[in-house]
Amino acid sequence: MTASMQPVPDSALVERIMAGDESALAALYDRYAGMLFAMLVRILRDTGAAEEILQDLFLQLWRGAARFDANRGSMAAWLLVIGRNRAISRLRGRERREILEDPQEFSFESLPSSGNLEDEASRMQLMGRLKVGLATLPAEQREALELSYFEGMTQTEIAAKTGSPLGTVKSRVRAAMQTLKQYFDDGTTRQPGRL
Amino acid sequence: MTEQHANPEDSDLYALGALDGQELQAFEAHVRSCSKCAQEVEAARRQVTLLGLAAPAAAPPPSVKESLMRRVRAERVPEMPWTVRRQEAAKPVRVSSFAWLTPAFGTAAVFFAALAALIWMKDLRDSKQIENLQAQLAVAQAQSVQIAKAAADADQLVGSAGTMRVALAQQPGGPSARAGVLYNARMGAVMYAGEMPPAPAGKSYQLWLVPASGAPVSLGVFSVTDPSMPMSAHVPPGMVAKAFAVTLEPQGGMPQPTGPKVLVGVVS
Repeated sequence: MTASMQPVPDSALVERIMAGDESALAALYDRYAGMLFAMLVRILRDTGAAEEILQDLFLQLWRGAARFDANRGSMAAWLLVIGRNRAISRLRGRERREILEDPQEFSFESLPSSGNLEDEASRMQLMGRLKVGLATLPAEQREALELSYFEGMTQTEIAAKTGSPLGTVKSRVRAAMQTLKQYFDDGTTRQPGRL
Repeated sequence: MTEQHANPEDSDLYALGALDGQELQAFEAHVRSCSKCAQEVEAARRQVTLLGLAAPAAAPPPSVKESLMRRVRAERVPEMPWTVRRQEAAKPVRVSSFAWLTPAFGTAAVFFAALAALIWMKDLRDSKQIENLQAQLAVAQAQSVQIAKAAADADQLVGSAGTMRVALAQQPGGPSARAGVLYNARMGAVMYAGEMPPAPAGKSYQLWLVPASGAPVSLGVFSVTDPSMPMSAHVPPGMVAKAFAVTLEPQGGMPQPTGPKVLVGVVS
């Protein structure tokens, strides 16, 4: 790959945003809006609401780009975490406690660095692997994981909805996460503190 | 002595936000003191973060980006002298309208002048002064929108039951600064106005709400070019302020206060 084909790092785009460069925000939007919108629509099942949250996320990025230190964490991960949190809050009609937004516990180091997500080809590959992984989970495991991640349900709510004992719900989620781990681990996702 | 660790499945559920009830409390208490389980949580978090990528593909319509960029351009704050606003704000005759100030805060009344200027805009609507002011505001539409919004917010706040005025006191060793906040917990609205010297190079002033419980919440970062710009903000639902503060932070602000306090005001 030639140097000209390397994506502009998120960190460089953030610096340009801090300098008031609108085109840098547009570039980050072009890079991540698709993956975010897909997640938001999956959670909300309402394209209008998804569009609203998507726009607000990038507007917040424009207003607060200085808060991000790309050396310590990932812009993509921040967008995914905050986007999911807001979508589920909207879906469930309540403020949702999000551990990655909790100032007492938030750690940039805990977020995956942009790394492979900055590159579209790598990002698409990861998306493909995860979709395959999720689709191939046993139905009850996939249901438990999806109810948790995309519906924002707690373990107790999942148990009530599925009619399964709490312990079974725990086991299903654990098994699903263990199975999916192999789809994350492609050699680029094993750095400590990074994906 | 063998150290007891949390169940591994609880790390996954915690990272997903699905752990609840007493299990959640017990788990959090354990993780705070167990590095091994904290590592489990971090690993689960990294995995959970990217689960959203498994969602079926969907593309936002071009109108979303177009609307975003319009909003971004509208928020641009061009350079503009604020001499008129500040001169109007400095008129002493209006200070008497702040009779709500207690004697202890009396000396701070003049420092609310910037806030008063916004409220006075309504009264000045038919005067020659407002014509001059409007003519200058037209030079920078984005800032005029901000002022109009602040004026409207001030009008609404002043006329609403339950609105409190909180004087922000200068802190020892800090710059000479004077400011106050209008705060209405029911409406979840805050309006700040004051006079601040420019922040040092590479720094920004940042306004915080200190809630009755929990960490401070940023209400906004002051304009670098004009830190005396009024600011209005909305308080998250259900959050009640016990104090407001202004700190000096790295330029652009921080998620949590890190710098010295410049101004502090306790909600009485």
